[in-house]
Amino acid sequence: MDVTREQISDGLKRAKYVTNERVETAIFLALALEKPLLIEGPAGAGKTEVAKVLAEILHTELIRLQCYEGLDEARALYEWNYQKQLLRMQAGEQEGLRWEELSEHIFSRDYLLERPLLRAITAPSRAVLLIDEIDKADEEFEAFLLELLSDFQVSVPELGTLKAHERPVVILTSNRARELSEALRRRCLHLFIDFPGIEQERKIIELKVPELDAKLAAEAARFVSAIRKLGLRKPPSIAETLDWARALVRLGVRELDTDAVRTALSVLLKHEDDRARVESKASALAPRTR
Amino acid sequence: MARLRDQLVGFIAALRAAGLRISVAESIDAMNAVAAVGLARAPMHEALAAALVKDEADRAIFDESFDRFFAAPRASRGEHPDHRGEQVSAASGRGRPGEEPPVRAAALASRRDEKSLAPPLQAKPAKKSTAARSHGAEKEKNGEEGRDAWRLSDRMRDRQEHREQPSPEESTAPGIDATRVARIRAIERTAFDEFSDLDYDEARDALAPLIRRFRIRLGRRLRLARTGRIDFRRTIRAALQRGGTLIDVNFRARRPRHVDLVILADISGSVRYAAQLMLELMAGTRGCFRRVSSFVYIDHLAEADFEDGHLVMTPALDLHARSDFGRVLGELWQRRTGLLRRGTIVVIMGDGRNNRLPARADLVREIARACRAVVWLNPEDPARWGTGDSAIKQYAREVNALVPSRNLRELQAALAAIA
Repeated sequence: MDVTREQISDGLKRAKYVTNERVETAIFLALALEKPLLIEGPAGAGKTEVAKVLAEILHTELIRLQCYEGLDEARALYEWNYQKQLLRMQAGEQEGLRWEELSEHIFSRDYLLERPLLRAITAPSRAVLLIDEIDKADEEFEAFLLELLSDFQVSVPELGTLKAHERPVVILTSNRARELSEALRRRCLHLFIDFPGIEQERKIIELKVPELDAKLAAEAARFVSAIRKLGLRKPPSIAETLDWARALVRLGVRELDTDAVRTALSVLLKHEDDRARVESKASALAPRTR
Repeated sequence: MARLRDQLVGFIAALRAAGLRISVAESIDAMNAVAAVGLARAPMHEALAAALVKDEADRAIFDESFDRFFAAPRASRGEHPDHRGEQVSAASGRGRPGEEPPVRAAALASRRDEKSLAPPLQAKPAKKSTAARSHGAEKEKNGEEGRDAWRLSDRMRDRQEHREQPSPEESTAPGIDATRVARIRAIERTAFDEFSDLDYDEARDALAPLIRRFRIRLGRRLRLARTGRIDFRRTIRAALQRGGTLIDVNFRARRPRHVDLVILADISGSVRYAAQLMLELMAGTRGCFRRVSSFVYIDHLAEADFEDGHLVMTPALDLHARSDFGRVLGELWQRRTGLLRRGTIVVIMGDGRNNRLPARADLVREIARACRAVVWLNPEDPARWGTGDSAIKQYAREVNALVPSRNLRELQAALAAIA
């Protein structure tokens, strides 16, 4: 595909996605080599966002498949619309249609419920397919996915083989709830998105919460980065940092001292023991103490 | 171009030698990736990483190999190697210099290196690793040998000082979570008999995700009912939507298995880390079995329990006693009523080193006959089984399975197989 790295990097900038060389290169390669991109990293580091931003850059549709335990082909690929088929059959009986005529009708595309994977394949133009949290799906589903990702074609027994006009851009994300198979890893390019560094997070806060004072934004970024290193049960994600920054604006906080940190902590930390832990260290962590 | 290809092939070979698993398809991807991004160092670095490194924990090895193969021009590498560390942390904005996680990651990475990649490097610092040597031969033609050697010795010095810091381009590499992941991965692969107390603490941190995965695995079995008793209500409800036609049949979820676990873990000096980690792991999965009874032993049997992550045993064992598994088996056999039933799985963790005391393998046979299965996990290297005072070969004949579990990874796989 004819995309240059500059276009990607401009597009990411325009979409207000603060990133680094690594992410840009990986996205560019996924497009250039037409390979699926597997993104791993902690929850809330911006994995899903990559796919959204990419769809925006390419001006195309984002098709999302959220994985969960027990996800099967019927939910992911296609399913016949049984109700509609039954109705059609009943109507057909009254018209006196023969089975051959009828089956031609009820096994046509009109009666096919297209699920995300099939939608991505049959999309008229190149789509972005996001397979979110693949680690939550079962191993069997992963194996099934392998086949699909290598050929981008599906055979529906009644219809024949459906092939993608243009290969969709595939983004897979994983939170490592379980180990993905080597086979899947081998077929994908790999990108690890970590929590941003202090400088990067400051940029994100400034972009997304421009109301917040610049000095405060830097302090907030430093504070969040520090508490991520405490080994909490759930370290704050970027989205939570942004919520927290917004909360600080609303609360009219002017300086990030111990009290200010304590008041809005519940926006940042969602576990009681995490909160207790940070609160006990608040005076040491807060950029300014009284 | 052909030269670059050779160089890439050599690079990939070096990565493989360092323990990364890279398929042919992936190496082709790597070539295509380089062709796509061009030859500038930083994009090429990231492109190769995206194509070749499929596990963040391997990233440190990759970065190190990349540096060795595709060294940057000297000018961009900072004025003096000793100042590099400070420059990195200031430039990357990751925090004050000397902050812990990156340093630890580097230390860990180098520790892993020392095990896998670097033996030749370490043993004879003057020589290069085989991969680097063949590469060097190629470079000699181009008269670059001297420079290459300089870089190598430079890196060696860095490592010896334990001040290995990523070079500026890589400074984005080990972030907070990557560090954590790499640490967990490294500790999972560390053999129990090389554990220190520090390693043990780290391994305990790594247990939480293991327990979670383990529970998911156990739980999944219950939900994946495709046969068994039909759930009448759900089947009819589904059929109603389709005019009463039975298209999908729904089944009831399986009930939890009626498995009792009896765990015997040797906590004598030689294998205590392995045993404690296993007990803790199993304590976390308690809800998945009907009943779990944990015991620890050295020369006696004692009930084991976990309170706030600390092993509590009643009665307390003399930690300096000589192991006597024969006697322990006798004690277990005496207490068998109510403990060993048809549905019980007995898991024994120990090295079977019995100080040449009676092994009592006959009792293991009796236990195996009374229970569903006896599984023996041995944290010792299989090569050493049966040597010296090890009676493991005698026990091996009587148990249903004898599984090596030298590190957390093997231990987890072994336990998953039981469940």
